[in-house]
Amino acid sequence: MVSAILSSRRFWLIMAAIVIGLLPMIFSDSYWRTNLIVCAINVLLAVGLDFVLGYAGQLNLGQSAFYGIGAYVSTLMIMKLGMPFWLAFACGVLVAGLAGMLLSIFAVRLRGHYLAIASLGFAVITYQILLNWISLTQGPLGIYAIPPPPPLRIPGLPVIEFNNLANLFYLTAGFALLTYILLDQLVRSPIGETLTAIREDEISAASLGINCQKWKVLAFAISSAVAGAGGCFYAGFVGTLVPDAFFITESFTILAMVIVGGMGTLIGPVLGAILLTVLPELLRGIGDLRLIVYGVLVTLVVLFMPGGIVQAGQRIAARLRQRAGAGDTVSRT
Amino acid sequence: MTKRTFRTLLMSAGLVGGIFAGSATAVLAADKTIKIGALFPMSGPGSYFGAQDKQGVELALEQLNKAGVNGFKFEVKYEDSACGPLPATQAVKRLLDQFKPDVVIGEECSDATLAVMPIMEQAKVPLLNAGSSAIKITDPGNPWTFRIMPNEVMQGVDIATKAYKQLNARTAVLLHENTNAGIGNANVFAETFTKLGGKILADIGFGRDVNDFTSIATRVASLGKIDVIPTYTLEGQGLKITQALAQAGVVKGGGGQAIQLGTIWLPFGFEQKAGKAAVGYIRIVQFDPTDQRDVVRKFIEAFKAKYNQDPTHLNAHAYDQVMLIADVVRRGAKDAQSIRVGLAATKNFSGVTGSVEFDKTNQNTKMDTIHYMETQPDLSWKAVK
Amino acid sequence: MLTVILQQGINGVVVGSLYVLVALGLTLIYGVLVQINFAHADIVTLGAFTAYFVTHLFSGNYFAGIAAALIVGAILGWLVNAVIFAPLRERANELLPLIATIGVSITLQNVMLVLLGPIPYAFDTPYSNNVIRFGGIFLTMQSVLIIMMSTIAIGLLYAFMKFTILGKALRAVSQDRETAALMGINPNQLIMLAFVIASALAGMSGAMLGPVLVLTPFAGTTVIVKAFAIVIIGGFGNVEGTIIAGLIVGLIESYTTQFLDPGLIDIVVFALLLLMLAVRPTGLIAEKREENV
Repeated sequence: MVSAILSSRRFWLIMAAIVIGLLPMIFSDSYWRTNLIVCAINVLLAVGLDFVLGYAGQLNLGQSAFYGIGAYVSTLMIMKLGMPFWLAFACGVLVAGLAGMLLSIFAVRLRGHYLAIASLGFAVITYQILLNWISLTQGPLGIYAIPPPPPLRIPGLPVIEFNNLANLFYLTAGFALLTYILLDQLVRSPIGETLTAIREDEISAASLGINCQKWKVLAFAISSAVAGAGGCFYAGFVGTLVPDAFFITESFTILAMVIVGGMGTLIGPVLGAILLTVLPELLRGIGDLRLIVYGVLVTLVVLFMPGGIVQAGQRIAARLRQRAGAGDTVSRT
Repeated sequence: MTKRTFRTLLMSAGLVGGIFAGSATAVLAADKTIKIGALFPMSGPGSYFGAQDKQGVELALEQLNKAGVNGFKFEVKYEDSACGPLPATQAVKRLLDQFKPDVVIGEECSDATLAVMPIMEQAKVPLLNAGSSAIKITDPGNPWTFRIMPNEVMQGVDIATKAYKQLNARTAVLLHENTNAGIGNANVFAETFTKLGGKILADIGFGRDVNDFTSIATRVASLGKIDVIPTYTLEGQGLKITQALAQAGVVKGGGGQAIQLGTIWLPFGFEQKAGKAAVGYIRIVQFDPTDQRDVVRKFIEAFKAKYNQDPTHLNAHAYDQVMLIADVVRRGAKDAQSIRVGLAATKNFSGVTGSVEFDKTNQNTKMDTIHYMETQPDLSWKAVK
Repeated sequence: MLTVILQQGINGVVVGSLYVLVALGLTLIYGVLVQINFAHADIVTLGAFTAYFVTHLFSGNYFAGIAAALIVGAILGWLVNAVIFAPLRERANELLPLIATIGVSITLQNVMLVLLGPIPYAFDTPYSNNVIRFGGIFLTMQSVLIIMMSTIAIGLLYAFMKFTILGKALRAVSQDRETAALMGINPNQLIMLAFVIASALAGMSGAMLGPVLVLTPFAGTTVIVKAFAIVIIGGFGNVEGTIIAGLIVGLIESYTTQFLDPGLIDIVVFALLLLMLAVRPTGLIAEKREENV
């Protein structure tokens, strides 16, 4: 009975919602609430990347570009055209998604490292455009005083302001949870099976009558749109935009989150994103050694937990269960 | 269970205990302490600034805490803000929440400084900046942010006027890194110089990842007769540019005609590293080690004794930041609010980089921080009046 | 104008041959393993610092510095393979070594930052400021040395790959692992060899780059992205292609600087890369490979 509850998705989703609700109350200071929001944004980026990487098997190193496109498109719509936030948000997500589709034209032809480098090239060019097109993006001069999302006015309830960090966290984390649920539904639907089939063996998938190209384009579009949403939240949250925030190293950081957490599971990237966001902050106490320890830990995690935190956790759980005498097999998330 | 203990438990779960324990700074026993938060880039390429700033701050602390000021001791906590808006936001919030400073000094990079200014204003803690040059920081001005260094407009107008009127320059080629400060400074120079009647032959910007400047020097050499080459880069790229321009025979150091012009970005000792190529380079130095004022002599002597090296302008302006705060405390300030008021009321504070007096936008108006120096054939400096 | 075009051509070749040295190592490892060593950039940096300190130790003997950098690079390559790549080889996931070496890269950079500090080192060799001029063209002795040393290193590597048994075995492994195994070649030892050669090249390129680079713990990262581009444009794992692509990128850099804007270099290089991938994904010189396309 207990194990039935524990393995039910609905139970875990409700738990996740409760945890999100409680977090800003536990972390009541502005520093940790700031980190919570960064976590939520990184969760979006990592989950989005894992959808195209872990499920469709497409190595995409362009996530920093889609992140930046979302941030810049929505911000320019707000600051230059005076567009309301949520409309600008939709535009940012849409343009990032379209850019992902554009890149996937390459994905249709290329696999493996070729695609990785094509997407990396796309990220380099996007970064350079943000940097050099000063008349549009301000380049390195930066855009400042970007307003947070506008207050939410629901009749009968008090106005919800988003210059408040707790509320902004609820917004970004809520959006991340929603994205998670949607992607979770998607990967367990026939679409998810189709994508996995393409990942495992493209040729036999094609022989089964699957239009691989169409599905790859879709996977790319969804993944980059999610990253674009992350960018929209970033801009409204930090209030300052410079191209350096979307340099290609950001792509590698997001990739590390997916790998450290556990590729091909959705919960893995969530854990990886939280860990790699919180870890450097917790290490601030050790001063100059901070990034040395961080680098060593990332290397060790990959060496000793090659399946990521999720797989390591499953293994430990299985061992514990074995010791307890229950022969249950580990369920795949 | 209280919130705090629960949170601590939550954090230490899965983490090495020692790491977290290390982050809690020891609170000094003396209750009369002025807490200074130091927001410096300590990681990545920006640590170029942070490492030197820290030396200056440490020296100032050592001197101040021997006797204290008005019964106050000074305590500094460094936080790595990594030269970027997001890391600076995280770092400043950590400082504000956990260290609860009376005043914060830093950042160096303009975009990071601009990103933390609204946070400082909200927290009502003054931010004393030295190294960011973007005009936006004090225009229109923020009641909680003060800047010691002359901004890009003050420096740019001054140097362009000097080039046109005193050096009789009529043509210029701009070389600058593609950063907030690089573009900002180059634009001000171009505007002023053109208005006076000069001509900008080319405006060449490049990323901080450019290493080989031979191609850029070749292009500069192909532009015809050039009088001045205002250059806005940090030490590393500056060195490569100066050497490449000399090799291409453009500047005086390489047997050419053009004079390289620079701002306060380059440290003392640059000439020794660049060698003969630097001969004829005219630049603004904010910190002049040949300055005979007592405060400067003592600073140089103490710095050499502590670190066994010559101080740079970055060491100097970090030192001045702390000394200015000490001066405000001497005048009776004791917390964030009174430090802000005290800073605003500063009159003719004399630091190692020059005097300080703020205008309505909290920008230092004293131009004696600007000295022009010309590099001589023996690589020494001669003041240019 | 002709002089300028010629001068920029020379500038491009000098920079390009440095890029070739860095990219060849990446290509070699990719050819054998189909994996990317992200810490390659930091081996370049370490090579540069090694050369700097050894040159000073031996009172300005730059060649001692180059030799030391070569050795340090080789040792590091052996270590990276033994600690990271070999244990991860049985996991058939090419992303694991990539992320692990990102961790290594972060560690190395920050160890160097703590030990050496962030202030750029001025690495002037006896040849850096020795300028040769003829007919309006200028060239430092350092540049001449760079071209000479690159040519020698590339020539030796090429001869090794083409004419020695080990070199042929390396090529065999990179083209078809199963056949290589059938030929009785121990792939593990060959992979180790590839790492040692590649990293020795990286160390040496660091020594050559040292006087050119803004020498800080982050120096290597400024060239590595272009090295990646060169590896692709040249066709992953293809030595001849990498050499040509390196020179092309060097020339793009100098001519873009002259006629467009240095800020646009990366855009031009990576646009070329995307174009190559779109029209000719096997690179400049096609070599038979069964996977990837």
